[in-house]
Amino acid sequence: MKHRVVITGMGAVTPLGHSVAELYQNQLEGKSGVAPITLFDASKFPTKFAAEVKNFNLGRWIKNPERWADSGANSRFAAAAAQQALQDAGLLENPKIDRTRCGVYLGSGEGIQDFHNMVYLIAQSYQSEKNAVDTVAFTAGGYERFHPGREFEQELHTTPGHLADYFDLEGPNYNCLTACAASSQALGEACELIRLGEADCMLSGGAHSMIHPFGVTGFNLLTALSTHNDAPAAASRPFDLNRDGFVLGEGAGMLVLEELGHAKKRGATIYAELTGYGSTADAFRITDSHPDGRGAIACIAGALADSGLKPSDLGYINAHGTSTQVNDKVETISIKKVFGDHAYNIPISSSKSMLGHLIAAAGAVELITCVMTLRNGVVPPTINYDTPDPECDLDYVPNQARVKKVDHVLSNSFGFGGQNVSLIVSRFKD
Amino acid sequence: MVGSPRRVVLTGIGITSSIGLGAAAFWNSLSQGRTGIKPITAFDASGLTTRIGGQITDFDAKNYLDKKDRKSLRIMARPIQLAVAAAQLALDDSQIDKNKLDPTRFGVEFGAGLMPTELDELVAASRASTNGQSGKVDLKLWGEHGLAAIPPLWMLKYLPNMHACHVSILHNAQGPNNSITESDVAGLLALGEAARILRRDQADFFLVGGADGKINPLSMVRQCLFGHLSQRNDPAAQACRPFDRHRDGTVIGEGSGVLAVEDLGHAQKRGASIYGEIMGFGAAFDRGCTGRGLARAIRAALAQANAKPDDIGHVNAHGLSSIHADAWEARGIREVFGDRKTPVWAGKSYFGNMGSGGPLVEIAGSLLALKHGLLPATLNYEEVDPLCPISVNRTSQPLTNPLFLKISFTEMGQCAAVVCRKWE
Repeated sequence: MKHRVVITGMGAVTPLGHSVAELYQNQLEGKSGVAPITLFDASKFPTKFAAEVKNFNLGRWIKNPERWADSGANSRFAAAAAQQALQDAGLLENPKIDRTRCGVYLGSGEGIQDFHNMVYLIAQSYQSEKNAVDTVAFTAGGYERFHPGREFEQELHTTPGHLADYFDLEGPNYNCLTACAASSQALGEACELIRLGEADCMLSGGAHSMIHPFGVTGFNLLTALSTHNDAPAAASRPFDLNRDGFVLGEGAGMLVLEELGHAKKRGATIYAELTGYGSTADAFRITDSHPDGRGAIACIAGALADSGLKPSDLGYINAHGTSTQVNDKVETISIKKVFGDHAYNIPISSSKSMLGHLIAAAGAVELITCVMTLRNGVVPPTINYDTPDPECDLDYVPNQARVKKVDHVLSNSFGFGGQNVSLIVSRFKD
Repeated sequence: MVGSPRRVVLTGIGITSSIGLGAAAFWNSLSQGRTGIKPITAFDASGLTTRIGGQITDFDAKNYLDKKDRKSLRIMARPIQLAVAAAQLALDDSQIDKNKLDPTRFGVEFGAGLMPTELDELVAASRASTNGQSGKVDLKLWGEHGLAAIPPLWMLKYLPNMHACHVSILHNAQGPNNSITESDVAGLLALGEAARILRRDQADFFLVGGADGKINPLSMVRQCLFGHLSQRNDPAAQACRPFDRHRDGTVIGEGSGVLAVEDLGHAQKRGASIYGEIMGFGAAFDRGCTGRGLARAIRAALAQANAKPDDIGHVNAHGLSSIHADAWEARGIREVFGDRKTPVWAGKSYFGNMGSGGPLVEIAGSLLALKHGLLPATLNYEEVDPLCPISVNRTSQPLTNPLFLKISFTEMGQCAAVVCRKWE
C-alpha cells in the first residue's frame, strides 16, 4: 500500500514577489513581471526584455549569505525559497524530525557561466593561420581569469548539495534537469519516494535563471523568444492569436512534500494533497513537440489515472502555456483529447503570461499557484489575452481572475526535447 | 527485492570507454589489466598541470547510427554522441526486438553533467564582440553582430537532457524520460529511479545510462582549477591509484555506460539472456563527508536486498584516487563491513572518472566479472594507506559469490548504493 503525500510548506522567489502570498496576489491582480532587461546590456539583442526577480536580497532570509557568494542566481534563489518552505512547514531546526528521513529532489538549473572572460579568451586565443582557437593560449588564460569557486558553482549538483548541507536534509538527494519540465518532474519523483516509504519529507522544487547573455542568445537563435520589444509587459500572451514566443523569467519555487501520517502526527498544516503524477516522452523531434500532442495526451491521462479521478473532477488547469504558436495549440488539442466536452467547462490559465517562463523552476512555481488556487478559491487569469485564436478555443480565464471553488487542479509542464510531466493537487480530505 | 512483486533485471550492456567500445572489448581490457589512461591528444594540453586522461581515440559516432539518423549528430555534443552509441550497443546486446516493444512502456533515464561549448563555434561571435578591453565583451556588438554568427541550434547541442531525448527519439521510447544531474552519482541515481518506475509498473523496458566528456580545453582547465586532479603526468598509466597510499588526485575519463533494464517477466517472456538482478538501492546525503551518510545509503540498499554484509562477494567502489574522498569512502565501507575482508574493486584505475557515465560503466565491469568468474585487479594499488583500511584487490581473483555492492558519490556528499545479484 503506497503512502499518501501532502504539501506542508511552500516558498517562492519570483518576478512577481519574494513570497508565496505576493506571488499569488499579484497573479490575481493580473500584474506582469516583464520589463526591459537590467542584468546586462541587451539593447542590441533581438529580445531586450525578461521577467527578472527584482530587489532580491538573500540576507533577508539567510543568516550567512556569504556562503552563497560564489553561487549563481539559481542557488541563491533556491536558498531563499527553501528557507521559506521549510520555515512554513516547521522543519527548520526541529529536533523532533529525523533528518536522515528528509531528502531533496530539485529540478534546478546550472550556475551562470563567466560570459565575459570566456568570450574574451576565445577571441584572444584565436589563431588566424589555424583558423581555430589555440588551446594552449586558451588554457593559460583560463588559469589566469576563471575563478575556481564560481566555476564550481556552475555544476549541476551544487544547488541540491548546498540545500542538503545548510538545512540538514540527509535523506536521498537528487537533481533532474529536463528543461522546462524539470521541477515538475522533481516533484513527481519526490512524491514517489515518499509513497514508497523511502523518505518522510522531501524538499522539492526548482530554481533557475537563464537571463544572461548566453541564455538569451541561445533562445534568440532558436527564435523561441517573443520580440515584442515595444511593449514588454504585453509580450507573453499565451493562447492569444498574436503570440510570438515565450518570455524568459527567473526564480525559484520550493515545496515540502510529506508523508500524510508523518504530517498528521506532528500537527503540520496540510495545504493540499499531491494525488497525480504522469511522465512521458514525445520521442518525436528535438525542436518540436508532437503535432497531435501524443506525449502530452498520454502524460495528462497518466496523471489522471494515477490520481484515480475522473476528468470531470478537475476544476482548474494551470497550463504550460508558453505563448509560442505551437505549444499553446498542441496543449489545447491535448486537453480536449483527454477531457472531451468537459474541456470547455474547465478554466485554464497560464501563469507564464505574468511571470514569464522560469524554465527549470517554472513547474514548481506554477504548482504553488495551483495550491493557492485550491485554498483560496480564486483562479488567476491569463493576461494579454486580446484576440482569440480559432485553434485555441477553450476558456483561458482572460485577463480577470475568477472566483471558483475547485477541489482538484492539474498542472502541465512540457520540456524542450519532449519530456512531459503532469501533476494533480487536490483539496486534502482525510 | 522485499515486498515488491515486480523484479528488475539487467539484460544488456553498452559501453563507450577508453578501454574499449562495446562490452567485449571493455572486458578484454579489464581482464588483461590494460589501462586507458594516457597523455591527452584530443587537443594540445601542454599548458595544463594535468595532461592525461582516459581519452577515447577511436570513436566515430556514425558507426552506431542508421544513415537516416546521422544528420542529428550535428546537434550532439561529444558526450551525447558517446551516449547514443552506448545506447545502441546496449540495445543490440539485449537482443530486444523493438517492434515487439510497446513504445509507451519503454523508458529512458540518463545521468548527465555540464557540457562545455566547443570553442571554435564561438570564434566568429567572440571576435566580433571584443573591443580590446581586457576581460570584457561589448554586449552591443555581441547583440548586433556576434549572436548571428553562432549556429542556430547551438544551445540544444549542450543541454543536459539531450542524451535521454535523442535516445528516446532514435528508438521511439515514449515512456518516462528523465535526466539526473548529480555529478558523479548521477548514473546510479538514474538506475535506482528507473528500477522504481519498473517496479511500480509504469514501464517494461528501460535504457539507463550516463555519459560525460570533459577531455576538452574548457572542461580540463576548470577541473585543473578545482585542484583535485592527479599531476602524475608521467607515467600516465600509474596516475589513477584508488586507495593507494601514494595517490595524489583523480584522473578525468570520458565515455558512456548504458544498461538495458527490464521487468523480469518481460525479459523471461522474450527469452532474454539476463546478466543480473537489481536487489536493492539506497541514497543519502553525507553531511560533512563523515562516511555515516555513505554507510546509510549502503545499509538501505542491503536492507532492500534482504542481504547482510557477509553475503556480499565484492564491493565495486567509487574509488576516485582522491586523497580525501578515498579515505571518506573507506570510512563508509568500514562502518558497514567492519573487519571483513570483502574485496574492493575500483574500476576508475583503468579509465579514470567518467563523471555521470562512471557508475554504469563500473556496474558493467562487475556484471562481466561475474559472467566470467574473474574479479579484475585494481590497478596501481601498491601500498596500503592506513587511512583506507579496506581490502582492495591488487590482483585479479576468481569470483563466485553472485552478490555485489556498487557505491557512488559526489564530493559534496550525495551518495547512492545498489546491490545486484548475478542471474543464475
